[in-house]
This record gives sequence, C-alpha cells and structure tokens, in this order.
Amino acid sequence: MLRELANAGERGAILTVFDFMSDILQAWNEALPRDMKAAAVYGFVPNLFLCQRQLPRAVEAEECLINAVVVCGNEMSRSHKEAILRCVAEVQKNDYCRTLYGNALPAASVGDSALFIFAIKLARFAPWFSKGDTSALKEWGFNDESLLEAVATIALGHMLCTLADGLSPVSDPRLALACSAEFPLVPEPTDWVETQGPYLSFPAEPSEKSPSYIFFRQEYGFLPNLFLVQSVRPDLVEAEARALENLMLPEDHLSRIQKEQILVTLSAANLNTYCFTMGCQVLSVLGALPGESDEIIAGQYLGQLSPQDKTLLDEAVKLGAFVKGSRGRFDRERLRTVGFTEAQIVEAVAVAGLANFLNTLQAGVGVVPDFPPPRTFSPKDLYPSDEKSRPISDATRPEDPDAEIVTCVQSGEIDAFEELVRRHSRRVYGILAGVVGNMDDVQDLTQDVFLKAFEHIGAFQRRSKFSTWLTSIAINTGTQLLRDRKPSESLSESDEDEGFCPRQIQDWAENPERLVAASQRDELVRAAVLRLPEKYRFALLLRDIEQLSTEEAATVLSISIPAMKARLLRGRLMLRESLTPYFVRRARES
Amino acid sequence: MLTCAEFLAEFGDYVENAASPDVRAKLEEHLHECKSCQVIVDSTRKTIRIVTDSASFTLAADKVEPIVRDVMARIRTKKR
Repeated sequence: MLRELANAGERGAILTVFDFMSDILQAWNEALPRDMKAAAVYGFVPNLFLCQRQLPRAVEAEECLINAVVVCGNEMSRSHKEAILRCVAEVQKNDYCRTLYGNALPAASVGDSALFIFAIKLARFAPWFSKGDTSALKEWGFNDESLLEAVATIALGHMLCTLADGLSPVSDPRLALACSAEFPLVPEPTDWVETQGPYLSFPAEPSEKSPSYIFFRQEYGFLPNLFLVQSVRPDLVEAEARALENLMLPEDHLSRIQKEQILVTLSAANLNTYCFTMGCQVLSVLGALPGESDEIIAGQYLGQLSPQDKTLLDEAVKLGAFVKGSRGRFDRERLRTVGFTEAQIVEAVAVAGLANFLNTLQAGVGVVPDFPPPRTFSPKDLYPSDEKSRPISDATRPEDPDAEIVTCVQSGEIDAFEELVRRHSRRVYGILAGVVGNMDDVQDLTQDVFLKAFEHIGAFQRRSKFSTWLTSIAINTGTQLLRDRKPSESLSESDEDEGFCPRQIQDWAENPERLVAASQRDELVRAAVLRLPEKYRFALLLRDIEQLSTEEAATVLSISIPAMKARLLRGRLMLRESLTPYFVRRARES
Repeated sequence: MLTCAEFLAEFGDYVENAASPDVRAKLEEHLHECKSCQVIVDSTRKTIRIVTDSASFTLAADKVEPIVRDVMARIRTKKR
C-alpha cells in the first residue's frame, strides 16, 4: 500500500481512491475511532467516500464497481480509463470529479479522439446514442470487450459525478488543481436514428453456478439482458450484482420500494426505456405499481405517494445524468426538513448514482427490454412539438390492422366502431368464457367490454395493438366479475400447484382426436381448462385458445415474457395431466 | 446432463420449436436417454393441438351480428 501511495501521483488519482477505499472499509467495520485513525494513517481518503460514512455498504458497492471497471479488465489501459472519467467529469461540469482525475489527460492520437467523441456522445447525449456510434469505434479496432470496458467506464464516471452532485464533498486538499485538458467538441445531435440493439453480440449464457447468475435468478426470476450481454466479463457482472445487492435489498434506511421508485423515476428522466421497464416490473412484483401502466406519470411520480416520498423523488430526479441542472440543484436540506435521516439521504444519492450507472451502461450496449415496456422513451419526448427529432426508425413496429378504424372512432365517427365489434367479438367472447366459465353471463359481458372500450377509446394511445388493449379490458372485466361473486376467495394465487409435477406418464394415442367425438372433446377441454388455477388458465387461454403471441399475452397480463412462458408451460402440463385418461394409447394400438 | 426436473422447467420453447440451438441440444441429449420425458413432450404437443383446435370457448358464427347490433344500439342510445 505504501509503495503504491508513493507512485500514486504518477499514476493518477483513481488507483489511490480504490486502494485506500478497501483499507477504510476494513477500518469502518471496526470501531469509529480506529476508522479515523485509519484515515490519518493512510493520509488521504477522498471526501466523496468519507462523507458516506453513515452507510459503509454504499461505499462497498461503489468499491466493487470501481475495482471491476477501472482496476480489472485487460482491453484498455488504466490511463485511458482515467482519461474517460475526466472526460465525463468535464461533460457533467463536475468540479469535484474534475479535480479527482485532474492528472488524467487524453492522448492525442486519432483513435483516442474517436474514443472521446464516443464517450462525450454517451455521457452527454445518451438518448441519441445508437448503433452507428458503436460501429464508428469498431472501425478503430475496438472489439466487444473493449467497447464494454469503455461503456462501463463512462457509466462509472456518471455514477461518481452523481455522488459528488448529491453529497457535495469538500475538495480534497491533497489534490492539486486539475490540469487543463482539451476534449473534442461534439455538437448536440439534430437527428435521431432509432436502432435495434444490442450493439454488442450476446456471449454464451454464464454458468448457472456463478454467484451473479444465482443472484439474478433469485431476485429477478431471470437473467436480465443488460447483464447477460456482459457475460464476457463475469467479474463486472458480479460487481454489478453485488452493488445491487448492497444498495437495493437492505431496508435499514430507505425501503426497497422507495429505492426502486428512485431508479424508475431517474430512468424516465434519463429517457431510458430499458431501465424504466425493469424498474416498473420490480415495483409491480413488489405490489407497488398501480394496476394500469398508463397510470405511471413518466418522469414524475408513481401512483399515490406520501408527501415525503414525493419530495424524495422530486429531489432524486435532479440527479439524473441526462437532465442535470434542468430541474435545479439537489437540495439535501429539503429532504431533512421532511424527516429523512442523513443515512437515508446518503442512500438516496447512492441509489441515484447506481441508477445513472445502469442507465448509461444500457444506453451504451443497447440491449432491448426483457418484457413489453409500459412506455417507450425517445429524444422526441424532449421536443414534443418539434419535428426535427422525429425518429428515423429502422425497427418496424408491428402494424395494427385496426389503426385506421380506431382513428375514425377517435375523431368522432361512432359508426366506424361497428366494424371493430364485428372483428373482435369472437375473441372477447372466448376470453370471457374462459375467465368466468358460466356461459349465461358471457354474451352480456361481451357487450359490456365493447361499451367500456368505446368509452375509453379516446385514451387509447396505441402503445399496443387495439386488439391487445381490448383483450386487457376483457380479462379485467371477467376477473372483476369473479371477484365480485367470490370476494373471499383468492383467485389470483393458488398454492395447491406449487409442488406440481407430471404423474401421468402413459403414451398418448397417435391420433388422440379420433378417440372422442368432437363435441365431447370440446366439453372435456372446457372443463379441464376451467379447473386450472387462474394464472395458468389465463396464460393458456390467451396463447393456445385465442392464439395471441407470447409478447401480446405478456402485455395483456402485465407480466414479463419469461413469467408468461413459465405460466403457459405449467398450464399446459396441468391440462395434459387432466386429459391423459381420455387420450392414452389403447391396447390394440400399442 | 439435465435431470428430469430441469428438463421439465426448460422445455416450454422446445414444444413450440422455438428453443435456441444450444438449449435444444441440451434438451435432446436428455430426451435421448429418458423415455418418461419423451412421453411428456409428445403428449404436451398433442394437448396443445387439441386445445388449439377445440371450439370450447367459441362464439357461434350466427351470434356475432346480434352482438354487433346490440352494442351499437346501446352506444347510440347513450350518445343521444
């Protein structure tokens, strides 16, 4: 350590930061006076970390990321990474970080110039970042791994600037003033080219035994694309998993929901569809997201929050990487006034730092959401009435065959609605029949669904196809009827199937349809489907009976695609179990 | 090689012929050795076929127009 201290002046600040942090963390685990001694012994611990002393686990999370991004990795030199961190500090106009990396200077080669143009575009104009920016760097010999290192370093720079913005550490007396540095000028983009990610190729899925894989499986139920695409650097994924674990899971200061709300709100402010979608999914699982995704007021508040939580998000959003300064400066005093403790405020800033890290990382690698986004953000959200930033899309959205008619109805042509009823009455009827079971109600309910759709068609914003939207209304209408009839029964969850595994292992006939008359077969299927627990029944109804795509069905049920697939498979296996006695191979057939 | 429990947790895409080549190879390695899972895959595919082809929840064709008529009548009444 002392030897490295002696060399620290030559090698830039970041090594010093990292090495000292592990020592100070060790000290923090012991008594407070020793902590102070440790700082005195080692001479210098950046105030950025000292001022988080109320929350050692936050510093530990930051240490993990700094180690993985700056110290590890074999593709880019440490001096390049430090120069990128300095570049991000310049872009963010962050004096503290500018001084922290004051010795880091960009090299003068043309290839380096391309790297800094890349860094500035991502650090300053992330919503405009596209595959073309990545391709430009690949022309200079960058491969997927070195691109990932560059992107992660830019993301780390954002995180450190966020911490400095939120915590306002006093400058470190040991650091000299930053040397002046010239970085390329990158003008504000005028056109947005929407490109389909990811910009890096997906490596093989990581080992199921790796701790990060286990963490994501346990906490998220699947391995999100954002982490899957980084599998080439398992140590980096591991550090990100540890950072999430240290910051998001403990509830000794802020609650998990408060922290996820910060993540979602900042992602919306940064116009990051991926992280917004993932955050909404987590909130939904935590039961903290209002039923309809339309109720999310993007960039502002989620659902019905307490005045204290509104203030928390109102301040946290000021730390957005992309919107810095546009909503005013982060105001710690305001949070104290409404009752937040120092540790809670430090945690809020640390979570905002992590949110900016993940947002920038995603924007750089371009992975697509793991499930249907409740809302898609783009640069045009910044200029709602300006034509110049309209996307030039290279990703074709699925055409909605009802789009024209919907436009007519929305503009007041009532009669046009007739065709929508004609086209979709069979599907709505089928859904309701599968949800409520009692056929006597179904025709009246079908009419009710269309009346609701007509009443609300003005609010239909075409984020999905009209038929998907209508199917959601049908599912909700049927479910509500069941709830009204059997309020005491929990219809959405059933534990009886938790230990389900197939018991019927008999061969089925080659043509099982021939064993039973069509009308009897329909009745067998109907009875077996209606016996399925609700969540599996709905999945099977949408996918196998009404033939929606997996994505559409997941949208209707407001669940992720992996969750949809899991429910569908369980539903199919349970149905197979019920039907087996009727369709097994007869003796003469075998 | 996969256990039966692992196979049963993963074969959803396989029955729809939508599994990635890697997953498919892993599943087929297990299937090659396991008669029980062969039976489950075969009967699950047949279950999907039967359910997809059934008319269990289908609205009869002659019921469509009465629904269209009633819905539009209720809308027009409300709008008056």
